[in-house]
Amino acid sequence: MNGKVELRDFSLLIALVLIGGFFALMSPQFLSARNMAMLTIELSITAVLALGMLLVILPGHIDLSVGSGVGLVGGIASVLVFQAQWPAAPAMGLALAVGALLWLLMGFVIVREKMPAFIITLGGLLVFKGAFWLVIRNATVPVAPGGETNLYAALTTYYLPPWAGGLLMLACFAGLAGAKVRSNLRRKAFGFEAEDWEMAFLKLFVTGQLMLLFTVVMNQFRGIPLTAVILGAVALAVTVVTEHTPFGRYLYAIGGNEEAAVISGVPVNRVIIAAYGILGAIVALTGFMQTAYSGASTTTVGDLMELDAIAACVIGGTSLKGGRGSTSGVLFGALIMAVLLNGMTLLAVSPEFKFIARGAVLALAVWMDVRLSRD
Amino acid sequence: MAPPRLSARSITKRFPGVTALREVSFDLKAGEIHALCGENGAGKSTLIKVLSGIHPAGSYEGELGIDGAPAAFESVADAEAAGIAVIYQELALVPEMTVAENIFLGAEPVSGLLIDWDRVYRDSKALLERFGLELDCSAPTKSLGMGRRQLIEILKALRKETRILILDEPTAALSEAEVASLLDILRDLRSRGISCVYISHRLDEVFALADRVTVLRDGSSVTTLDVAAADKASVIRHMVGREITDLYPRRAPAPGETLLRVEDLSVSGPEGEGALEGVSFSAAAGEVLGIGGLMGSGRSELLMHIFGAWGRRTAGTVELSGRPLAAGPRACLDRGLALVTEDRKRCGLFLDQEVGFNLSLSAVGGLTRHGLIDEQAEHRANESAAASLRVKAPSLETRVGTLSGGNQQKVVIGKALMTSPRVVFLDEPTRGIDVGAKIEVYEIVNRLTAEGKAVVLVSSELPELMGMSDRIVMLHEGRVGGVFKRGEADQERLLAAAMGHAGSPAQGGKG
Repeated sequence: MNGKVELRDFSLLIALVLIGGFFALMSPQFLSARNMAMLTIELSITAVLALGMLLVILPGHIDLSVGSGVGLVGGIASVLVFQAQWPAAPAMGLALAVGALLWLLMGFVIVREKMPAFIITLGGLLVFKGAFWLVIRNATVPVAPGGETNLYAALTTYYLPPWAGGLLMLACFAGLAGAKVRSNLRRKAFGFEAEDWEMAFLKLFVTGQLMLLFTVVMNQFRGIPLTAVILGAVALAVTVVTEHTPFGRYLYAIGGNEEAAVISGVPVNRVIIAAYGILGAIVALTGFMQTAYSGASTTTVGDLMELDAIAACVIGGTSLKGGRGSTSGVLFGALIMAVLLNGMTLLAVSPEFKFIARGAVLALAVWMDVRLSRD
Repeated sequence: MAPPRLSARSITKRFPGVTALREVSFDLKAGEIHALCGENGAGKSTLIKVLSGIHPAGSYEGELGIDGAPAAFESVADAEAAGIAVIYQELALVPEMTVAENIFLGAEPVSGLLIDWDRVYRDSKALLERFGLELDCSAPTKSLGMGRRQLIEILKALRKETRILILDEPTAALSEAEVASLLDILRDLRSRGISCVYISHRLDEVFALADRVTVLRDGSSVTTLDVAAADKASVIRHMVGREITDLYPRRAPAPGETLLRVEDLSVSGPEGEGALEGVSFSAAAGEVLGIGGLMGSGRSELLMHIFGAWGRRTAGTVELSGRPLAAGPRACLDRGLALVTEDRKRCGLFLDQEVGFNLSLSAVGGLTRHGLIDEQAEHRANESAAASLRVKAPSLETRVGTLSGGNQQKVVIGKALMTSPRVVFLDEPTRGIDVGAKIEVYEIVNRLTAEGKAVVLVSSELPELMGMSDRIVMLHEGRVGGVFKRGEADQERLLAAAMGHAGSPAQGGKG
């Protein structure tokens, strides 16, 4: 499950370097600290949603409604804060509960009525979009009352002080190294193939360098953005859930062979409902970040985000049939999508061509996946 | 003497790291049925792929000949043009289409741009009549049983100019009656001069049907025997390379307390049809209870229902260790009842996942600490399961889909046993696996009963049922057709019970 290096991992890296290199050449601003910070925030938002999407794609389902949900949940919080004058924390708490409940409900309908997730969530896409516009009454609703700042707005405007960011990255690196050593020792004890220590050390060294570089670049602007911390926490949680809990095993099992999962005693229905419930909470979190990044709820917040999330999963090697996919792959996929969008925005590519490029990259990634897995 | 219709000379086929076929030679005469026997992994499927052009000429060494002339198939189409058709275990029929549509699938006669449906149905009808099949060629294929579908697949091959028919385990999913009619059709084809390569694990069929048998072992052709002059024991000996003294090594301990009691169970199926009616039986610790019956008698449905995965109960009770059993696989596993299903690929295995994932899946919920999987405990459990069942895999991280059928079956059994059940349901545990692996499965059954577990064994093979069961329940159309003690049953009496003549066992033979 881990430790294996495959050709497709490199192909993603090559694609990333090519895309990134192209933008760096075309626009000198691309590599600026300020843009890297913006890119990090955009990546965090896309990646958090994609990680949630992974939880329902692994068992072979799908969710087309997350984009509308992002707008709706963010809109509920905005309205509570701006119009009802609630403090940000309870407003976001209530909106999060609404998100989780809506998704639990969709999960329940999908398993109970045996309806295809595609249809239910397609319905969700339209219903939530309509509900969103009702909630904000087609207006622009800022995330914080005029000029003030609150917890909601701070989601995308707060940056860790340089020393705190540095300490956090150090702690992350220590944790990463510890986990790597522990897993290597364990694999050796189990008699599995494990990397030799030189290779493991080399990988850690490169990772450490990248983390250092990231910290230095971020600190040149305002520091590590809060959204990056949120992404780190969500990525850690999703990795632990998918790889180290029975629930995660069940996700893979259901996607691999649902009938066999039932016979093996996997509580299929409960697992699916729970996966949608967690996705609902992640949609809410994404909704807050995306709305805060836009500064206000407007009718277009969240548009087409479901496709970016699905694309990130697929580019990262997740099988839409279920049973195959990993958090690291999804993070990589999200990075490619985020770089692509950010770079095109910098180059002031017209929306028409943005759509075309996103679609082409998605199709290309899937084609690559099909080709490479056909060995 | 006429040259053989199809000959293979010194075929060697190498894959990276493995030599799948080593100097394999055999020939097929005109109008002959030639059986290929061998354990899983002996090279039968690779040989078929060479013969049918899936492995193109040049990817193997040695040569093929058709009617004495050398032949080199670059593709499946080349082999088909030479008159070779292969019928695989997994049928290539579209269930939603009618019989005639399937027969002409991919070769629809056209007039102009449109399909000439009149001709499709006319020719299909003629083909069906030629082989004496009373079948409506406008019926949807999904409405037919497996046996009929197999025949349609053969007709599909015969529609073309097929002179060599290769059948890969054609009877694996067929009932006894369907097997008999398939064998009749094949004999009929032989009398029409069509040659046939017949691959089967079932030696009874090979001996009833084939003219000659070639045995493959470890990629080599060991021997070719005339069936008339050979016996099963010698074929098995060639297949496994050693003497097998006891095909059914049942060692029955004294039965203990009753673990499973089923009383008067009636069940209706998903469409509300009555599937089981008034079924009662019990299984005691240390006992193997065999359950037999014809296809459609409700054998598998009975197990699946008790396990909570099929149908709706309309009457009756099921008790495990004296307490009623709640519905649902999870509840059953938690109470100590495990099921190994009939179709291991469809409802047993996660083919893309590792051996360890498959083994521990049912038990992994209990192998946690603070909500996280205790990987060390899981690994220890997986290792001991793989070792005690003798799963032959390079590592616990090997993908299950790459293992042989017998080892896959052991993984499915291991998954069930890891939940520490007291009662184990085995539904056709030896289907499609080779003789050596079968005996290993029987030894596992012996070990389970020696440990005081009860085993309920469903099998469509009467010799297996008689050889391994301490008691046998025969089902007939969803009811108990007869109950027999070990040694008191012979094939005729069991069959009679399966066909509903159990009330008077003395006349059973007439069934």
